[in-house]
Amino acid sequence: MKLLRADMTTLWRNRRASLLVVLVPTVILIAWKNIVAWKGGPFVIANCVTVGLTAIGLMGYSNTLARDRDKGIFQRLRVAPAPKWTIMTSRLTVQLFLILITTAVLFIVGYNFDGIKLDARGYIFGLLISIVCGALYLSLGQVIVGLIKNVETVNVVTRLVYFIFIMVGMFGELGMLGDVMKQGVHWSPYGTVKNIVSAAVVPATWNKDSSMALLVTLGYTLVFTILGIKWFRWSTR
Amino acid sequence: MNNDNHTNHTAPVLQVDSLNVYYGSFQAVKNVSFEVRPGEIFGLLGPNGAGKTSTLSAVEGLLKPQSGNIHVAGYSIREQPLYARANMGVQLQATSFQPELTITEIIQLYAGIYGVDLSKEQVASILANIKLQDSANKKYGQLSGGQQQRISLVIATIHDPQLVLLDEPTTGLDPQSRRQLWVRIEAMRDKGHGILLTTHSMEEAESVCDRIAIIDHGKIIATDTPQSIIDSHRDLPAVIQASRKGKITLEDVFIGLTGTEVRS
Repeated sequence: MKLLRADMTTLWRNRRASLLVVLVPTVILIAWKNIVAWKGGPFVIANCVTVGLTAIGLMGYSNTLARDRDKGIFQRLRVAPAPKWTIMTSRLTVQLFLILITTAVLFIVGYNFDGIKLDARGYIFGLLISIVCGALYLSLGQVIVGLIKNVETVNVVTRLVYFIFIMVGMFGELGMLGDVMKQGVHWSPYGTVKNIVSAAVVPATWNKDSSMALLVTLGYTLVFTILGIKWFRWSTR
Repeated sequence: MNNDNHTNHTAPVLQVDSLNVYYGSFQAVKNVSFEVRPGEIFGLLGPNGAGKTSTLSAVEGLLKPQSGNIHVAGYSIREQPLYARANMGVQLQATSFQPELTITEIIQLYAGIYGVDLSKEQVASILANIKLQDSANKKYGQLSGGQQQRISLVIATIHDPQLVLLDEPTTGLDPQSRRQLWVRIEAMRDKGHGILLTTHSMEEAESVCDRIAIIDHGKIIATDTPQSIIDSHRDLPAVIQASRKGKITLEDVFIGLTGTEVRS
């Protein structure tokens, strides 16, 4: 509990960075007000939640992990009688909390600015599924930190991957990059997550395709988690 | 975590037996054995790349040796790592605490990890003892190097461990801070802690260590009190050649035994 409290305090002290993570999907949500009428509220909110989850996993989690590893914060914890799994569980719990906050903020902004109204089941299911989907991006962030030791390189690569994900994901989903790309994006980590969130916020629309997207998402998460754990080193030295 | 069955004040607090560490095909530590007794400051000296850090990392449990045994306060680092770690305090050179946390929060965090319950008054008393009472709400990242070292040392001993590992504790400190740190290390020894210290400063080793081991190319080449090591090697031609002031010092013996070549 002490470790979790310390990690929560660290998150709070770094709230400006966390705010930026929430800000990007919030700005997109407000800017896409006109698309609500064309593609529907669930489509817009699902895209924005997906962008938020991508930002948390790729920009937030991976960069703090790389920084703390470089500074030797993990090694200091590891020489204390704290099992390795408690160190990582505490970190991930904080990120899951941030995922819930981000999703809730997007629901509130969507309701107030874009008039996206969901029923109670949609809000609850949406929050729960955001945790499942957020795990995919956290595991992807873990893979990147496992593959790259240098903090600056992690920073650059995660920004690049984030940018590619949201650009190709959003425009690909809208069909602006052609049919082949649209199909590719549909089964990419961006597309499956967007698909699940979109169905989760309107549970009545959950269908076979949503279930398949959930399975694919869990598959991605499993593979990235295995690789992330396998490749991760606690020290850069 | 302490278990009275394992507490024997005459037994070594650290026992390293036939330790071997490899990185791929390169053997960094070759059959190293030594022990640290309660109330003793034991210095591990060696040039860069000699095997000090690998030995220390194995003792800390950060690295799995290919063979050999390490016992901390009677607990095997391999078989009972959490018990072994609970009985050692560590101050590592290349590590840090969360820079966003205040020093009070850091002390409370590590006290919690070691199972020590500290009241606010106790934390204030600890900070007053290291003259940081006015910095209680300062973030760790805002402290000077000397202040960070003091916090690091306090945390290494917060749970009153039998063994304290200090990795080049005075590196980067000004002479005043260094002297102050020596006094603190000696006070820990007087309380009965066994201390394993690595340093590049021969002056430090000669001043504070009760016994030292010189390690080079992964092997321990000498173990004794600083004065005995000087006495037993003072007539070696390489040591005499290394002497610069007429009087043979520990540094002369160290250079005589490990060579003048600069290691990367």
